[in-house]
Amino acid sequence: MNILGIDTSAKTLNLAVVNDDEMVVDYRINTVERTHSALILPLLNSMLNLNGIKLKQIEGIAVSIGPGSFTGLRIGLSTAKGLSFALSIPIVGINTLESYAFRWMDLPGKLCPLIRARRGEYYFAVFNKKHNSLHIIKGYQCADWNKIKDELLRYDNKVFIFGCGLEDILKEEKVEKSKNIENIHFITSNKNIANAANIALIGEKKILENTYDDIYTLSPFYIKRPAAEIKKEKDDSKDI
Amino acid sequence: MKETNIMGIETSCDETAVSIVRNGKHLLSNIIASQIEIHQRYGGVVPEIASRKHMELIMVICQEALEKAELSLDDIDGIAVVPGPGLKGSLLVGLSFGKAIAFASGKPLIGVNHIEGHIFVNFLNNEEILFPFISLVVSGGHTSLILVQSIEQLEVIGKTRDDAAGEVLDKIAKYLGLGYPGGPIIEKMAKTGKDDAINFPRPLLNSNGFDFSFSGLKTAVINYIINSKAAQQEVNINDLCASFQRAIIDTVKHKTLTAANKYNISRIVLGGGVVANEQLRKELTEDAGKSNISVYCPPKELCTDNAAMIAVAGFYKLKAGITNSFDLDVFTE
Ligand SMILES: [Zn+2]
Repeated sequence: MNILGIDTSAKTLNLAVVNDDEMVVDYRINTVERTHSALILPLLNSMLNLNGIKLKQIEGIAVSIGPGSFTGLRIGLSTAKGLSFALSIPIVGINTLESYAFRWMDLPGKLCPLIRARRGEYYFAVFNKKHNSLHIIKGYQCADWNKIKDELLRYDNKVFIFGCGLEDILKEEKVEKSKNIENIHFITSNKNIANAANIALIGEKKILENTYDDIYTLSPFYIKRPAAEIKKEKDDSKDI
Repeated sequence: MKETNIMGIETSCDETAVSIVRNGKHLLSNIIASQIEIHQRYGGVVPEIASRKHMELIMVICQEALEKAELSLDDIDGIAVVPGPGLKGSLLVGLSFGKAIAFASGKPLIGVNHIEGHIFVNFLNNEEILFPFISLVVSGGHTSLILVQSIEQLEVIGKTRDDAAGEVLDKIAKYLGLGYPGGPIIEKMAKTGKDDAINFPRPLLNSNGFDFSFSGLKTAVINYIINSKAAQQEVNINDLCASFQRAIIDTVKHKTLTAANKYNISRIVLGGGVVANEQLRKELTEDAGKSNISVYCPPKELCTDNAAMIAVAGFYKLKAGITNSFDLDVFTE
């Protein structure tokens, strides 16, 4: 089954096609000058053309629904919905943190993917593995590095942390990557970038199991509420 | 003759809208989901909340527009989308969705400037209006005078240097605690007020260019209220609204007629939420008539933001051979 994977949750724009549990193509652009919005369809077009894949051969769309950049997520999901609707093929939204954990399934310990949020905070979750599948034991949440660290130090066995937020932690929190912090191990491989192929691989499984999403109601997984909404609630409760 | 059905998609501010128009003339469907009630609580549009709502609604509204028109996507001949101006996050939802539909279905993509929509929606109910004409677009987001030579030749000859007229109406209504959006509320209060009760300024009225400025008027209204309170004089809200509305009408009317005269043009085309104001429509039509200038105005429900206007403009652009590539991106101003 040809599944198109879309990941616009972070700075790297990433598209991939997988088929029968294997990656077929994987294209990415580290956008600097131009936006995801301007590049996503031209990139898709080139990727398909250069690899001799026809749009009609795509049988499902898997899209990263977050957490991540709010605007990025909406560009990806709006595009995915438009494609799914016009091609009459299933759409499935994949949690971005889960897709990172999926990539590091083989590591011997708990898995903690991180994605940069705003104001020194990170989206994170902690996964356990059972029978070759992921089970969430903590998260999905948004917190600063100190809170996340305290949470991870509570575990007895190894926790591997990775994801596109890790680089920021190493840089901004002045953590040395060569040194692990007790049971916390840093995975600083260049796999810490967008991962549309994983999104598509997880998506293919779900589509084959008929557990894909409803195109009408599928929404980004923001985790954080709009700042204005939280402020308004605070202000309103003060009035009472 | 082959029918041309254009789907218009519009999400530039707080309305999620999809419409299907046949041959630029027949409105087959015009679905608008307004978020006004949500944003009312905040006294204005909150961009992140608006973007989230668009994302939730876009597919539902699109399907509804097709169902109402009794068409399927196969029957659509072009997808008209709005790259701007508007709120970036909001625009991106409708633009990305529309571009993907056009890409996947192989249909032409037509980018329509939101303001072009407000202008060309007038073609929906009138026989094609002859070029050239002067267009006045007034809403919460813009106050512009545009010289329109053809579907692709539009020249902005005047615009607001600060607040848009609709924005000032909103702000004063909010200041007075009357609610949001301000235009219709102030229009209603003004009906029973005396419009010569207070002499508010008409900024830039007699300047040479066609630019507008409304922030001075806003300050004058607020100062009037503050000073009256300080002097313990009761403010007659109806008189205040009537006088305030009069200052806005006088200004836009004067500028528009002066522009028509200067460019020697005998057609004026109105658009935007503020031209739903009956007094403004009536006076402009009457005054223009004295110099043999015809005034065209959309029905009220097509003055405020909608997607029919995008589909109509899209039809005429497509007819003129104007389409866009898929790297079309948003712009905010
Ligand atoms: Zn508008």
